[in-house]
Amino acid sequence: MKYLYYPGCSLHATAKEYDLSTRAVCAGLGLALEEVPDWNCCGASSAHATNHLLSLALPARVLGLAAGSGLDVVAPCAACYNRLRAAGRALCDPAEAPGIAEAAGLPRPTEAAGVRVLSVLELLVAQRDRWLARVRRPLGLKVAAYYGCLLVRPPGLLGFDAAEHPRSLDRLLEDLGATPVDWPGRIDCCGGGLSIARPDLVRELCGRLLGWAARAGAEVIATACPLCGLNLEMRRPPRAPALPVLYLTELVGLALDLPGAKGWGRYHLVSPAGVTRRAGGGA
Amino acid sequence: MAGPTGRVLVLGGGIGGMQAALDLAEAGFYVYLAEHGPAIGGTMARLDKTFPTNDCAMCIMSPKLVEAGRHLNIEVITDADLISLAGEAGRYTAYLSRRPRYVRMDKCTGCGDCAEACPVVQPSAFDAGLGKRKAIYKLYPQATPNAFGIEKRGMPPCRATCPAGCNGQAYAALIAQGKFQEALDVVRRRVPFASICGRICHHPCETECNRGQYEGPVALAALKRAAADFGWPGTGRADPEASGPQEGLQPVAVIGAGPGGLTAAMDLAALGHPVTVFDASGQPGGMLRQAVPRYRLPLDMLDRELDWMLSKERLSFRGGVKVGRDVSLAALRAEGFAAFVAATGFPVARGLPLPGADLGRVYLGLDFLRQVNAGDPPAVEGPVVVIGGGNVAVDCARTARRLGAQAVTVACLESRDMMPAHSWEIDEALEEGVAIAAGWGPKAITAGGGNAPAAVECIGCVSVFDAAGRFSPVYDETKRQSLPVATVILAIGQGGDNAFLAEEGVQVTRAGGVVADPRTGATAAPGIFACGDAVSGPASAVEAIAGGHRVAETVHRYLLGLDLEAEAAGEPERARPPAGPVPARRRHPVPLSPAAKHARDFSEVSLGYDRETAQAEAARCLQCGVCSECLECVHACQREAVNHADCAQDLALEVGAVILAPGAESVPVARGEYGYGYYPNVLTSQEFERVLSASGPFAGNVERPSDGKEPRKIAFLQCVGSRDVGCGQPYCSAVCCMYATKEAIIAQEHIPGLQTAIFFMDMRAYGKEFDRYYEAASAEHGVRYHRCMVSGVRQDPLTKDLDLTYVDDGGRHTEETFDMVVLSTGLRPAAPARLTAGRLGLDIDPHGFLSGGGLEPWRTQRPGIYAAGTVTDPKDIPETVVEASAAACAASRLLASARGTQVKTKEYPPERDVSAEDPRVGVFICRCGRNIANVVDVAGLVANARGLPGVAYVEENLYTCSQDTQGRIREKIEEHSLNRVVVASCTPRTHEPLFRDTLREAGLNPYLFEMANIRDQCSWVHMHEPERATVKARSLVAMAVAKARLLYPIPSRSFPINQSGLVIGGGLAGMTAALALAEQGYAAHLVEREPDLGGHLRHIHTALSDREDPQALLQELRERVRSHPLISLHLSYQVRAQEGYLGNYRTTLAPTGPGEERVVEHGAVIVATGAAEASAPGFGQGADPRIITQTQLEEDLGGPGEARAGVYVLIQCAGSRSEQRPYCSRICCTQAVKNAVALLKRAPGARVFILYRDLRTYGLKEGLYEEARRLGVTFVRYDAAEPPEVKAGKVLTVEVEDTALGARLVLEADHVVLATGIEPKDNNTLAKILKVPLTVDGFFLEAHLKLRPVEFAAEGIYLCGLAHSPRFIAETIAQANAAAIRAVTLLSQPQLAAKGITVSVNERTCTGCGICLEACAYAARELDEETGVAKIREILCQGCGACAVACPSGATQQKGFEQGQVLAMVEAALD
Repeated sequence: MKYLYYPGCSLHATAKEYDLSTRAVCAGLGLALEEVPDWNCCGASSAHATNHLLSLALPARVLGLAAGSGLDVVAPCAACYNRLRAAGRALCDPAEAPGIAEAAGLPRPTEAAGVRVLSVLELLVAQRDRWLARVRRPLGLKVAAYYGCLLVRPPGLLGFDAAEHPRSLDRLLEDLGATPVDWPGRIDCCGGGLSIARPDLVRELCGRLLGWAARAGAEVIATACPLCGLNLEMRRPPRAPALPVLYLTELVGLALDLPGAKGWGRYHLVSPAGVTRRAGGGA
Repeated sequence: MAGPTGRVLVLGGGIGGMQAALDLAEAGFYVYLAEHGPAIGGTMARLDKTFPTNDCAMCIMSPKLVEAGRHLNIEVITDADLISLAGEAGRYTAYLSRRPRYVRMDKCTGCGDCAEACPVVQPSAFDAGLGKRKAIYKLYPQATPNAFGIEKRGMPPCRATCPAGCNGQAYAALIAQGKFQEALDVVRRRVPFASICGRICHHPCETECNRGQYEGPVALAALKRAAADFGWPGTGRADPEASGPQEGLQPVAVIGAGPGGLTAAMDLAALGHPVTVFDASGQPGGMLRQAVPRYRLPLDMLDRELDWMLSKERLSFRGGVKVGRDVSLAALRAEGFAAFVAATGFPVARGLPLPGADLGRVYLGLDFLRQVNAGDPPAVEGPVVVIGGGNVAVDCARTARRLGAQAVTVACLESRDMMPAHSWEIDEALEEGVAIAAGWGPKAITAGGGNAPAAVECIGCVSVFDAAGRFSPVYDETKRQSLPVATVILAIGQGGDNAFLAEEGVQVTRAGGVVADPRTGATAAPGIFACGDAVSGPASAVEAIAGGHRVAETVHRYLLGLDLEAEAAGEPERARPPAGPVPARRRHPVPLSPAAKHARDFSEVSLGYDRETAQAEAARCLQCGVCSECLECVHACQREAVNHADCAQDLALEVGAVILAPGAESVPVARGEYGYGYYPNVLTSQEFERVLSASGPFAGNVERPSDGKEPRKIAFLQCVGSRDVGCGQPYCSAVCCMYATKEAIIAQEHIPGLQTAIFFMDMRAYGKEFDRYYEAASAEHGVRYHRCMVSGVRQDPLTKDLDLTYVDDGGRHTEETFDMVVLSTGLRPAAPARLTAGRLGLDIDPHGFLSGGGLEPWRTQRPGIYAAGTVTDPKDIPETVVEASAAACAASRLLASARGTQVKTKEYPPERDVSAEDPRVGVFICRCGRNIANVVDVAGLVANARGLPGVAYVEENLYTCSQDTQGRIREKIEEHSLNRVVVASCTPRTHEPLFRDTLREAGLNPYLFEMANIRDQCSWVHMHEPERATVKARSLVAMAVAKARLLYPIPSRSFPINQSGLVIGGGLAGMTAALALAEQGYAAHLVEREPDLGGHLRHIHTALSDREDPQALLQELRERVRSHPLISLHLSYQVRAQEGYLGNYRTTLAPTGPGEERVVEHGAVIVATGAAEASAPGFGQGADPRIITQTQLEEDLGGPGEARAGVYVLIQCAGSRSEQRPYCSRICCTQAVKNAVALLKRAPGARVFILYRDLRTYGLKEGLYEEARRLGVTFVRYDAAEPPEVKAGKVLTVEVEDTALGARLVLEADHVVLATGIEPKDNNTLAKILKVPLTVDGFFLEAHLKLRPVEFAAEGIYLCGLAHSPRFIAETIAQANAAAIRAVTLLSQPQLAAKGITVSVNERTCTGCGICLEACAYAARELDEETGVAKIREILCQGCGACAVACPSGATQQKGFEQGQVLAMVEAALD
């Protein structure tokens, strides 16, 4: 099975470990990934905040590049995923489509609109049969499943899980032998793109999230968004609990005992060494 | 055409339906009150308290329940739905379908013994899912009718799948309750082999079990075994389903004592036929004994069960007799056997024509097993190869292991997955070390030394069956292997042994099986039947049992001379798993013997569950069918009221009119909204209502679902499912603001120190006394109100507390923690309402409400069909009651000519004069099934009562209230010349009227009756102290007897009635009421102070919808009133004085101008004097022509001129909700919005600002608010503390502090429009003349704000229109009609009966102090100025006793509760 892979800027930079683990997990499951040729920025942060047309034309161009291959696109970054989906929908809107198509240089906008975009979470849920029996080292960790803002919302656009009380990541963690904790932060915002402009605000939000997760007894936070991952590590307030944050693919890698899985930890700002050592204790 | 029918169908038994039914029944019509559910009472029955009086909902409603339930002219039909309606207004035929209730209502006494016995526990929908109830249940304790009913949801898949129809859900339910014996009874009804099947059945039931969709099926087979293990030998009770011995009984011979034969024999014997079971073997059991290995089925279990079966009456066993060999059928016929059942099985083991099959230590599988079971195992040496893939092969392999063989291999043609043996048998075999060689076909057995086999030569098998499914193996010759062996067991097939039947004309197959009809078991030879393996080939025990049942039925029919095949019953509906989330529960593994791993001996492999595990496993059952038909209720019911064979019933009712009152339901909260469904401490308002209720699931203790702790802080979130376009509920639900306020207040009463906060958008306290209630909630009770929506609810994972995020009144982002959150959910029409509307072809609006009635919402598009209550729009109780009465009035007008034609009256014998007799008291003591008798020693009570003075007769009854006991009481009264009766039973609240009626039927005055409450106040409350309860019961009976001796007859008095009404006020309400009276056939005097009719309606030009024209309505009403012959107009007159009372008034009318006084006589009074538009000092009213009122704006809009553009500033609450006028005028917000919309439609350039405090466009009026916003009206909310300032200079300005912006706005206006509100007229004079009360605000005060909204406490005087409180045109018309039908319930009586229990005055001791006059709420006491005695207007006296208590001299005594009587009771209690 083959997918087109849209890493976006962050998986090539701040979320290197997300990129490595996603590729390793897919390879381990026999899912081939091929990068979208000549991909460009999805426009999630700056364009989204400043220019409506640009914010849709940028991801629309990516869809155009993917169209025709007949393959689904996997977009691990929650923001990319959200923008690509939004572009797909806008391309179905007769009022919006012509302008976007012109700006993005799309000869066949309907074809681009038809490209299916998946998050890594969606992909893993769909391919559960491929990995469930291969869980070699049940994690045995208490994990806070963190969906953030963009993975399941807005419901009209994404809608593969309940927008206010999503459970798919929790169930996945359970399948990996972890114990997902009941915590109130599942869909709360980490501060997202304000990390540079308003670090004070992001610090406050991240501090709340970390506090909630720790109070619920989590040993680690599982995320599927590079921005969440970065903020929770980089913008934690001084006295916040030192909870490590791992991408869900890293946890899959640990549970499946994939080669190199423990090595991804060195890219983190908060060392997950303690939990990666403990992981596998659920056997 | 014939005239109309004097019967009415009311659909819906809520408060609206009950009110309509009672009005009509009292007004001379026969009423069918049909209810969708099992009891009437509707939503109100589920409420705890009601606003704004905090009355207990049940307390104020239950008199209506009792009245509707007992009314001679109301027939309550429960569990019913309207299917269709034919005919036309006046003569309809209504077709109803009544769902089976499974309980005979004429027999059920509501004692509840059945529910006690029922093992099925369900969440109670009545308690919003928070409480539990049984499958047989009464909706709520006070339910009317007081009868139980059973909920069934189809046949559970386990029972439907079992070939023998064994009732898995039922025995699981009983086991879960620890009732193993009863569970065993249930199993045996269809499977007499409970122990055996529990061990060896292949349990197809588990494959279909709905729990299997979650964590694996319920272990039904292991539970069946547990039933036998722990329930042996069963209860020994008679099977309530068994039909018992019948006619046409003849001896039957059953050939073969296997499971099929024995089942048939048991059934036939139970039906009464003498049955003899023949078997070639000396012992019964067939293959169970011979071939099933002992490690699966121990011998003692087998013997125990077979002995039990063979010990049955009429059943005998002749072993060691092979029919056909030892005795011929002819000989048996000669012996008298009239029918034969061949249950001969498939007992012949078959071999394979294989080279080497004749070697030594090559055995046939079945024979091998037989020898082992017979205790004579053949020699087995390893390695062993078993050829075959079925269960016999696996049994042989495992048996061979136990005989000591180390290497045992099963070689079969099929692949591992396709082996016919059950997978769990294969798994256990593998566990025991048996190897499987799948996909190999034997070609030859080669010999080793001597006669012993050395190897089995095999070739690969590619496929076993051909495309058509026939056995046709295909081999791959290239694949070969040689399995070394020392023993070979061939387990490849069996055959029948029925040659003896062929001689009788029965067709026998090549394999030796019998050809018989698979449904009946009949063969070609008459009188010979067959079942089990003999017909089907080798199959499982449960299939043989199923065949046994079928053949027994056929044989029975044959012997009775009936058609062999009974009429096929339809396939029962399969029960689906319950909707909603199912809590996870993992299957309990059945423990296996550790020794089994080593397969050393024949001890039983499966150990079965222990009791506790069995109960826990049984509790996993999802109870798919709800009722499991375990029949425990049938055993428990001593009245034989349960009827599981009940079926749906079609009714055709001839009625003149139909009233729809199906009610509303709560809008379901989306799972997840505000955490509902995820966070245990987030409840809906109905759930919380049940939490608060004393009869609710927590007995009124407010506790958190998560931990049972008392909450300290509760938040109420308004508008969940209301005013929410997102969830498709854009309208306002009209009741939530007030019920949340009520719930907050009541919760605080429950928990001292509780903090409550209500988060809302607009506080819609628009009803009478609502604003005062709302103000008190915050000022006196400390309820916090926050005008904001909560943006998030988060649950603390550890404490389960809830963190709410909101923006507070100062605009600050706030987080606050609460213990509990209550969501104020909205209302929508109940599901049956939509269905019925569709069936009747009535229009519904997009939200599902009936529409089309215009200014008379209770009218539908079809004449003769009316609607009432929340089916037309969301509304609260008084509006529902009013609308129900209005609908009843409409029906009464339509059917006026048929009044009194269909009603029943009761004829009583003349009353016996007992005045000269000594007291002879009859005492009837009720056991109430087990309710009283299980606690109180009833026999002792009887003995004790016999010794009491005056007692002439005592008996105990199982149910004193049952119909047959009433007959008995009448007989005993006559037989023993009883002249006083005491019943010691449940409660007078529900049953006193029944017993009084019985006395009356027996010719005794009904007041010669006394009741002792030994259930509700004795056995129920002291159930854990039976001895002391008995002592108390004894005292209660003695007290009742002591009082009874002093009772004397109270004569019933009646008074004539003047059948006309006086209507005071000629506005909309008065004209409507007068017309309603006249059109029902009663004369009306209409008095109007002014020279012209019309009142305030003359100033109203637009209605809420463009379809209605108020001025056209006014013209029409005027003309109809003036031309109606029964209406006498008294224009320019007013009431000056009134004398008389209920039924007979004389009223003096004085002219307002010149003229003469008039005196009119009438039986009832309707007050419809209206109210006035208020003035608004302080807002510049009158100071400037640019400042006008809403009424003036309305008149401008209604005028011919062009509407002027410009800036309009509409100021709401200009004078309302102020210190001077603290109430809300209800209509102004809607009026302002309506006028704004009308203005913008006529002058699109206009700019409209509406300055408001709370926008109270309640109910569907919210749509107008939405329209106004869409048209661009600017809404500015201001605070009461900072009202807008109007400055009328050269430029007209309005300055206002905008609370949303937090800024002061200065608006330059062309027009300022003041909503000045409504104020009462000076009602004091009239109130004094009529002796009726006013509210603090000066409006007239009705008898009860909720349930008696259009009448005064003093009977005979009614109330409607603005004189009652501010209201809309449609609401006024409704009230006027309601008041009219209430008056007609009085005027239509031929004469008036006074209440029996009234007071009497001893004129000699009365000092005329007048204290009683103040105590009386009904104006029933008056002071006779001449004699100085406080007299009684007996017709008005309600018998409450307040004046008797107040009387300082004891001159006033309450009949039936006189001093002497009460003192006698006290003395008896102290004895």
